[in-house]
Amino acid sequence: MNNYAESKIYTVSKINRYIKALFESDYNLQNVWILGEISNFTLHSSGHMYFVLKDQESQIRCVMFRGNNLNLPFMPQDGMKVKVMGDIRVYERRGEYQLYVKKIVEAGKGELYLAFERLKEKLKAEGLFDEEFKKKLPLIPQRIAVITSPTGAAIRDVITISLRRFPNLSILVVPSLVQGTFAAQEIAQKIEFLNKYFSDLDFIIIGRGGGSLEELWAFNEEILARSIYNSKIPIVSAVGHETDFTISDFVADLRSPTPSAAAEMTIPDMNSLINNVNLLNSKLMRATKRNFELKMEILNSLTKSLQYQSPENKINQYYQYIDEFTGRLNSRIKHQIELYEERIKKDSQRLDSLSPWAVIERGYSICRKLPHLEIVKKLEQVEIGNEIEVIISDGKISGKVDKKEVVSS
Amino acid sequence: MKTKKKSEEISFEEHLKKLESIVQQLEEGELTLDESVKLYEEGMSISKLCLDKLNKTKQKIEQLVLEGEEKYSVKPFSISKGENTVNEF
Repeated sequence: MNNYAESKIYTVSKINRYIKALFESDYNLQNVWILGEISNFTLHSSGHMYFVLKDQESQIRCVMFRGNNLNLPFMPQDGMKVKVMGDIRVYERRGEYQLYVKKIVEAGKGELYLAFERLKEKLKAEGLFDEEFKKKLPLIPQRIAVITSPTGAAIRDVITISLRRFPNLSILVVPSLVQGTFAAQEIAQKIEFLNKYFSDLDFIIIGRGGGSLEELWAFNEEILARSIYNSKIPIVSAVGHETDFTISDFVADLRSPTPSAAAEMTIPDMNSLINNVNLLNSKLMRATKRNFELKMEILNSLTKSLQYQSPENKINQYYQYIDEFTGRLNSRIKHQIELYEERIKKDSQRLDSLSPWAVIERGYSICRKLPHLEIVKKLEQVEIGNEIEVIISDGKISGKVDKKEVVSS
Repeated sequence: MKTKKKSEEISFEEHLKKLESIVQQLEEGELTLDESVKLYEEGMSISKLCLDKLNKTKQKIEQLVLEGEEKYSVKPFSISKGENTVNEF
């Protein structure tokens, strides 16, 4: 002690941390069950519970956090005798050790519950509940077995519901005790038997209708739990109970609250499966038809484009071109002709005014010698006695020359 | 026997998934004509397989009767039958 200067000196927090580690490395202090009486119970507003557990000679400080006490079936009170389970650890800030409570059971009551909890912890630690060991049930079972009482409502419910959902199902009823001292062992043996001789089973439902904890006890026994775990055929646990679970539920590949529920959960509804396939079928046909129509539309529009580019179409275009030009040519010519007709009309009017008839109208006349009707312009053209005619505005006069006489103008 | 059976079971569920994916591909409509004909044929044969599978087994309700350690028989089971008490087994 007088050598204290040489020995190592710890800080308070360091030594507390060291002690804390000591506690945590001691497995006797983990998941330990302690019997005692509650005193100084406080429910903090945070939801955490603080109390002292004591017997006649000693006491230990306890804390139960909100996450652990949410599902407590009763409210702890001072003076209550209880069994608590938890880890003893050091609360560093105060340098105090205390029990971190995970479970509380009223002492005197719930011996079975205590056994249940112990087995549950044990099997859980061994990994029997691990998800990785859960086997998947097939969507379409063909043959299933039901281990239960052959006379109870459970088997009737399972068969009725299963066949309603999937009529083409083969069900093997495996009669067994489901309560009493030998029930767990018998169910376990039946599971082993089925694994040995009925490996074609898709899964096995084990179960019974609801009952008290004692009546359901077979499903909390280790022998059955291990048999479920070892089964190569998937096991569905179907024990009628509303609130709690059985050990079988935890080990089984699928758990259901009742035998009826087990059938509902595991047996597919054949009609809805058929409807599903048929729906996919008609979707398949519709989608394929639509695809064809799309391709057809593309084909049609391409064909149209191609026709537009065809030689026949080119020729038709030229025809149209020619027709257009012919039309223009025709109208041009027609116009030209009209122009000429106009000119001819004007010319013929002018010609009219020069016509002999216009002169005759004014009183002049034309004299022609017969028989050749030569126009007589000079005296020398006619002899006395020649026949002549004189044309006037409204007719002619005929006669003979009887006198010739020169007239000076 | 068991492994073969299991693989068939898996394939039923996979068939259904496959059928769904075929329908989806066709509905997206970005396929060549050859592809869509091929997928259609595949889809039709899968849906037939699925329906066949559902109708494959027949209803059978039986009861296991143990006749000693390793001997057993299987007889028809009727729900209404009440004379089988649990004590028999």
